[in-house]
Amino acid sequence: MPENDNILDRGFKNISQNGNVSGFQLDIKTGYYRGTYLSLVEGFEVTVDGETFTREQTKFMIGGHMYVLDELANLTDARWPFQETATLIISKPSGLKVGMHDVQVVQKTRVSYMPVQPSVYTFRKKIALVL
Amino acid sequence: MEMTRKDFLQTLAGVAATAGISKFSASAEASKAKIKRGVTLYSYTGDFKMGTMNLEDCIADVADMGAEGIEILGESHVTDYPNPSDKWVEQWNGLMNKYRTKPSCYDSFVDSMLRKDKTLTMQETLDMLVRDFKVAKKLGYKIIRPTFGKSPLAVTDVIERSLPLLEQYDLKMAIEMHSPVIIKSEYMDSLMALISKTKTKRFGFATDMSIFTKRPPRHWEAERVEMGAHQNIIDYIRTAYQNNLGPEKTMAEVKKMGGNDVDLQWASIAGVYHFSWNPPKDLLPIMPYIYHIHGKFWEMTEELHEYSIPYEEVIPVLLQGGCEAYFSSEYEGPRTLFRASSQLRRHHAMLRQLLKEV
Repeated sequence: MPENDNILDRGFKNISQNGNVSGFQLDIKTGYYRGTYLSLVEGFEVTVDGETFTREQTKFMIGGHMYVLDELANLTDARWPFQETATLIISKPSGLKVGMHDVQVVQKTRVSYMPVQPSVYTFRKKIALVL
Repeated sequence: MEMTRKDFLQTLAGVAATAGISKFSASAEASKAKIKRGVTLYSYTGDFKMGTMNLEDCIADVADMGAEGIEILGESHVTDYPNPSDKWVEQWNGLMNKYRTKPSCYDSFVDSMLRKDKTLTMQETLDMLVRDFKVAKKLGYKIIRPTFGKSPLAVTDVIERSLPLLEQYDLKMAIEMHSPVIIKSEYMDSLMALISKTKTKRFGFATDMSIFTKRPPRHWEAERVEMGAHQNIIDYIRTAYQNNLGPEKTMAEVKKMGGNDVDLQWASIAGVYHFSWNPPKDLLPIMPYIYHIHGKFWEMTEELHEYSIPYEEVIPVLLQGGCEAYFSSEYEGPRTLFRASSQLRRHHAMLRQLLKEV
């Protein structure tokens, strides 16, 4: 799988809650070629250095709203505009170490005209985490 | 995917100054031709998504080639889709005016699987169509290309039910003839039967050049080899496609050759048989119903030939049949940033020659 620009370098960082590092966040562009309603987005699977995070550990943020992945199925009016950067928030107590990480994101989206559902988009990139 | 267009004119001098095009540019001459050049902004998907080009950059790039027709995907290119603000619509009209471009075809999608557990009803399908009819009309488009998702509803029923709505919004609907479509087929016959039954002037086709694929794009083949396919099997599959062997027989043969999953996928309907080849003259009987053309291409060589699609065999048939439509270039090769712009120029240099603009 060649490196892919859908994962952005900017925005990859640990996050804290109440003064403790609670996980990390990652900015992505959609793997599809148009904006979609959120109900079509079935989910994301993030893997860093071989560790794959569960659906429950993963949240999706777009347009200032944060969603747990199971919420998306009902959102037939809210959109992920094509050019807009989305943020994936991953729960991981103590977060990631500063340094290079091998990051993979799998996006699953229903594309109604395709013969097989859902369409699966895999992005992979080595990124340096600074903060 | 889909596209659309609209209209505006400004004084020649103003346009030439702002758009940086000469008043003796090709677009003035081309406007008299029955086939006019255009571009679907889908071509710039990589640059537009990553922000190396914004909407105005894309339109300026099309105008710089002396092309006129601007095709968009509502869901990609319209800010605050499906409810663009009046201010945005004004800006859009301003861009058409400034660059002397026109709306050609607006592409919409009917997401039949909007919900995971059930497909859209007939009424929901029509509502979804109308959602985009409104946006298209607001932007000055006269032609809309919806792509229908899989559904138990018969597409001919949906089209028939949409005819009065097309009348109401003064639009024409063009269904894409995209590979693996075969022109002489029951599917196309059923659509032609609908046209003769209803005598409609509101429904026709957006013909995509992918139905004239003589050999698969070589970068797709190279990607498969990178993913683990065998070069000798990829070579075999190309020959099988060109001999019209069909997916079942090709896959059986690939199994015998010891093909792996990547080889088998490329031998299937999801691989090389996603393309199709039709004799170009098969277009002649449906020519009056061709409302729009997608100039699909993957690789323009330095010799100005498309590697997979013999444009020099197809365009003379369109000219012979008196086709009246926008020829809207659709670059679908690698999304390497800045590549679309240079590939599109090669495409338009070829088109100007084949369309007898030079």
